[in-house]
Amino acid sequence: MRIRFGVSATAIISAALVMSLAVIVGRVSAQRASVSAPVPASSSAPIRRQANGKPDFSGIWQANNSANWDVLTHEAMPARVMQTGVHQLSPVPAAPVLALGAVGGVPPGVGVVEGDVIPYKPEALQKKKDNFEHWLDRDPEIKCYQPGVPRAMYMPYPFQILQGTNKIMMVFEYANAQRTIHLDQVEPYPNDSWMGHSVGHWEGDTLVVDVTSQIDKTWFDRAGDFHSDALHVVERYRMMTPDAIWYEATIEDPNVFTRPWKMAMPLYRHLEPNAQLMDYRCIEMVEELLYGHLRKQPLVRTWEGQTMTVRVERKVPPPDVLYDR
Amino acid sequence: MRTRARVFATIAATTAAIILVGAQTQTKVPRTAWGAPDLQGLWNTNTLVPLERNQQYGTRAQMTEEEHARALADLQQRNQRPGRDSREIAGKSGVGTEKDVARAYNEFWFGDKPTKLSYRTSMIIDPPNGRLPAYTPEATKRIADKREFLAALLQGTSGGRPGPISPRRKDSSPDYNLDRINRADGPEDRGGPERCLGDNLPVTMGTGTFGGVMQVVQSPDSVSVYYDVGQGQGFAWVIPITNRPHLPKNIQLYRGDAIGHWEGDTLVVDVTNFSDETNFRGSRQNLHLIQRFRRLDANTLQVEFTAEDPTTWMRPWTAVQELERADDKTTVVLEGGCHEGNYGLLGMLLNTRAAEKAFAEGKGPDPATQDNATGGGGDN
Repeated sequence: MRIRFGVSATAIISAALVMSLAVIVGRVSAQRASVSAPVPASSSAPIRRQANGKPDFSGIWQANNSANWDVLTHEAMPARVMQTGVHQLSPVPAAPVLALGAVGGVPPGVGVVEGDVIPYKPEALQKKKDNFEHWLDRDPEIKCYQPGVPRAMYMPYPFQILQGTNKIMMVFEYANAQRTIHLDQVEPYPNDSWMGHSVGHWEGDTLVVDVTSQIDKTWFDRAGDFHSDALHVVERYRMMTPDAIWYEATIEDPNVFTRPWKMAMPLYRHLEPNAQLMDYRCIEMVEELLYGHLRKQPLVRTWEGQTMTVRVERKVPPPDVLYDR
Repeated sequence: MRTRARVFATIAATTAAIILVGAQTQTKVPRTAWGAPDLQGLWNTNTLVPLERNQQYGTRAQMTEEEHARALADLQQRNQRPGRDSREIAGKSGVGTEKDVARAYNEFWFGDKPTKLSYRTSMIIDPPNGRLPAYTPEATKRIADKREFLAALLQGTSGGRPGPISPRRKDSSPDYNLDRINRADGPEDRGGPERCLGDNLPVTMGTGTFGGVMQVVQSPDSVSVYYDVGQGQGFAWVIPITNRPHLPKNIQLYRGDAIGHWEGDTLVVDVTNFSDETNFRGSRQNLHLIQRFRRLDANTLQVEFTAEDPTTWMRPWTAVQELERADDKTTVVLEGGCHEGNYGLLGMLLNTRAAEKAFAEGKGPDPATQDNATGGGGDN
């Protein structure tokens, strides 16, 4: 794909207008009827274990894939938000992301879903496509909402597992999200929550975690894959090597899917001697995005580079949209 | 915020029996399977011990039996009150006022009334008078500047000093604002809690507007604490147990760069690299905290911290708190989900824009003449 700007050419684009333009989504995840790969065998190297003999998952981990862009196999795209180009096969990046160039592109990736298909009900598939087209307005990650499970596990940020005596705490760099896996008996969670209620048990060397009480507002990726509040996730954690966890999540949600489906991937240990979680305090980062249109004096109205001017026209949406943050 | 789910009496009785057996057999500090003192569990951060000592106690860190009995009787009497603001405000009864209604609402979230009272006269144990050390001249000026700014924005409103609308309403805050100020030009004008910044620091003092609980999970090389501090502003804090150096001085972490090590049975945590976007009693990015976590017995975790900041206080100071174990089965630790449902900030900005529009159309008062800062909850 080629995009040319004359040195003096000025693209004056209203970001608000672009939102309403038809967005060409390109080819969504070519669905392959692939046979799911066999579960990788564990290495024979000894893993770290707790005093009770159970594998110790403590450490700083991160997925190394592009599942957060799309859990299904996907091609690279010039941008997640596109608009019509001069040729049907050549859409161009839309104004809000145009200036990011190659940095704003979507990296390709092989899928992490078994069979490379998410078994949506027909009406749910329609909603997923709609989500994709309105990604900028809808993806909870853009608004710095806590990501929920399983998305938290494969976001492009490290997270730390602390495996205690009867609780396992996971702390995520993104948004300082947190989840506690209860290995002991606790009361059910009194409400839906962003990171869910996790109860774990051991099946041999595999940690099995049952995740319930998740709110319906989290997604699986930046491709609009979604669920309802009936979401039930069963995760399985198994050490592949001393420095890699084989992670599986079985997704069940009868409101959205015709059958349970499964994703799987390795999570890799950060081996840097000085690895540590730092801050990704996105709540403050997104204030201009979320509240900029309610300022007394608007701040971000235009951006001017040497070859481009982008105009931003903020608008106050109707109440039903405004309050459905 | 913490909700207590009532469980069946049988479960409670069983739990009590287990705790009783534990207390009888564990005369020493409970330890993890790998031999470290076990800091894990749920710990109540609520306390009635004031940070600073009432001057009547002088340099005495503990009450006498007689003083304690009197204070306990006072507490029990206070617990009988209806949770309304019956104080007089400007010579008139407070009942039915806006503040009263706000307090009645708040009362719900405070949870169970405390029935026990520590013998401690203050959390501060050093300086020996149990009081915060004096501010440096630099800090005194900083704090006065901010107070003056807050007062200027309230000038001429019902909650402020008399005078015309101050031209300072156009100024930006002299610091990174975390206070409730009488202006809503943009999100930065609102207080830290309203913006869901969760600007509590990881020290037990000062966490928990409505009471709080901390959950500690421990592995051999790290300890994590989840502070459930109320109103959905919980946060997680990881203490690596390591001898690595601190991050470069120019790097600011919102809750500091924590490095822990064991000194005997005490976890000592050195915290630096704080941010200019948090305010710990006047101290911001130059704060240095040394925290000490010590398990005293089956039901008590002692947390002590020394705070120093030569740009803020004339000398370091130390405070201590004993945290009581909360029952894991009946105490539900709630997720912090403030930002995700922050309709308050949205409404505050939207309403102010609407009020400005109405004023411009001659349909309402000038929003600059209204007090939207001192009413309602808080300690006002």
